[in-house]
Amino acid sequence: MARNEKLFGAIIAGKKDAAVEAVSEAVGAKQDLEALLEESMIPAMKEIGDRFSRNEAFVPEMLVAARAMQAGLALIEPELAARGHKPLGKVCIGTVKGDLHDIGKNLVAIMLKGAGYEVMDLGVDCDAESYRKAAKEGAQAVLLSSLLTTTMTYMKTVMERLAEFPNVKVIIGGAPVTKEYADSIGAHGYAADAGGAVGAVSACLGRA
Amino acid sequence: MKITMKRWVEDIIASSDRKAFPFMAGTGASLAGVRFADALRDAAKQAACVGALAARYESAACITFMDLSVEAEAFGGEARWMGDETPTITGRIVTDAASAHALAVPAVGAGRTGVYLEAARLAAEGADRPVFGCHIGPFSLAGRLAGMTEALLGVHADPAMLHAVLRKCAVFLGEYARAFKATGVNGIVIAEPAAGLMSPAQCAEFSSRYVKEIVESVQDDAFMIILHNCGATPRHVDTMASTGAMGLHFGNIVDMADVCARVPPRVIACGNLDPARVLKDGSADEVRGKTLELLHRTAAFKNFLLSSGCDIPAAAPVENIDMMFSMLNAYNEKEAARVR
Repeated sequence: MARNEKLFGAIIAGKKDAAVEAVSEAVGAKQDLEALLEESMIPAMKEIGDRFSRNEAFVPEMLVAARAMQAGLALIEPELAARGHKPLGKVCIGTVKGDLHDIGKNLVAIMLKGAGYEVMDLGVDCDAESYRKAAKEGAQAVLLSSLLTTTMTYMKTVMERLAEFPNVKVIIGGAPVTKEYADSIGAHGYAADAGGAVGAVSACLGRA
Repeated sequence: MKITMKRWVEDIIASSDRKAFPFMAGTGASLAGVRFADALRDAAKQAACVGALAARYESAACITFMDLSVEAEAFGGEARWMGDETPTITGRIVTDAASAHALAVPAVGAGRTGVYLEAARLAAEGADRPVFGCHIGPFSLAGRLAGMTEALLGVHADPAMLHAVLRKCAVFLGEYARAFKATGVNGIVIAEPAAGLMSPAQCAEFSSRYVKEIVESVQDDAFMIILHNCGATPRHVDTMASTGAMGLHFGNIVDMADVCARVPPRVIACGNLDPARVLKDGSADEVRGKTLELLHRTAAFKNFLLSSGCDIPAAAPVENIDMMFSMLNAYNEKEAARVR
């Protein structure tokens, strides 16, 4: 199926109504909805993520693009689920214990949903048990976010608590977090920004 | 200290010695033996922290604490205190156009704003160098009232509502800035980190135009504004400079030499040692190396003022701060010897 340029462009431009219209047209034309998702919608989110990483798009553009994506997705998700369509993977994300900052976490959650992942958003101030519970409920990747230098050290505690789930990948990010820190605590991945988070998750889960 | 800040700026530019003005409230608390969170609620304790820093370090200026919850709390936002940290605003008090238009502008002095004004007054009394107060920038404040995600979405989705909130933020911050000026401090650092999340054009529309109003209402030869935006990229320099602030302060994400090349030569360009990775977690060698590297990279720019990229965490070892100043002195001595 060729890319639906109207839908692709609407998502990148953050035009929610245009995205919904394009999806509605596709549904009405009985197009392959899984192909619509894979060939038009997910690539649109990847494109805006790539532009963000290149400083060609900024957080407002990411947010409206994700909003357009989610509006379009809402029209086809029931149908896709009925046909047995599975998300790329199941991940959980939360800001670690002691930290209430959520803008980065929210952005990453939106990008991951836009990329086709099922996302369990654990919120903020998450203790290790929250992540462990999510892993027990099937999260294949656990994403830890922190904005404070004083709270990022809790990521090590979470790593230790998740030791009983050796197949669960832990990816960390946030303003004070570095690749070196990620390596030092044995995290499986590190994301420098929201766009990079999708890539890090995909790489860790073998979806790249 | 009675000083013409225009002269302070000129002296920095004319001086053959590099100077430093890091944001190190946490270190001040350590030196003064004050619990950091207590200093956020007690003007005398906060002023004592500022004094302790001035007693130990030859910084070019002092600054009261950077606490980005104070103003939102004054508007009615809920400040959640956790441990010995600056509190975080939770929830949203602006949720739609109706609540944006109904939002009441608080009086200066509401919440803890009175504490910060008093801390500024006490810190300025008898100071041997310029003292800066600090308040949040308008877009960063709007984000704390409406939710940061919602504010950033509003850039495209509902700019009218965003501007309605920003107008009220600017009204309050203008009054607050005038109140700071009346305390006797020599300037204000306006902290506007969230503006760096937007494009330069969006930053111009939703932040710089409002910052400019504040600058124009208080800045003069004797009283200066430093605009801090640790999220800014080099592409944001022009819009930051358009505010007219006599100083611009940058975070550790930028190459300071790249930034300095874009800052007008008569405007002070401050930054940008990494407060967490270098100043808190770095070894002595790393602090030494990074400080010298930054000084060398910015050597061509007379308007450069060494600083941290943002507020240095309270847990940063005092030894690391000592090392930063020690390396500044060593650099200056070496440069002076080289010129001789």
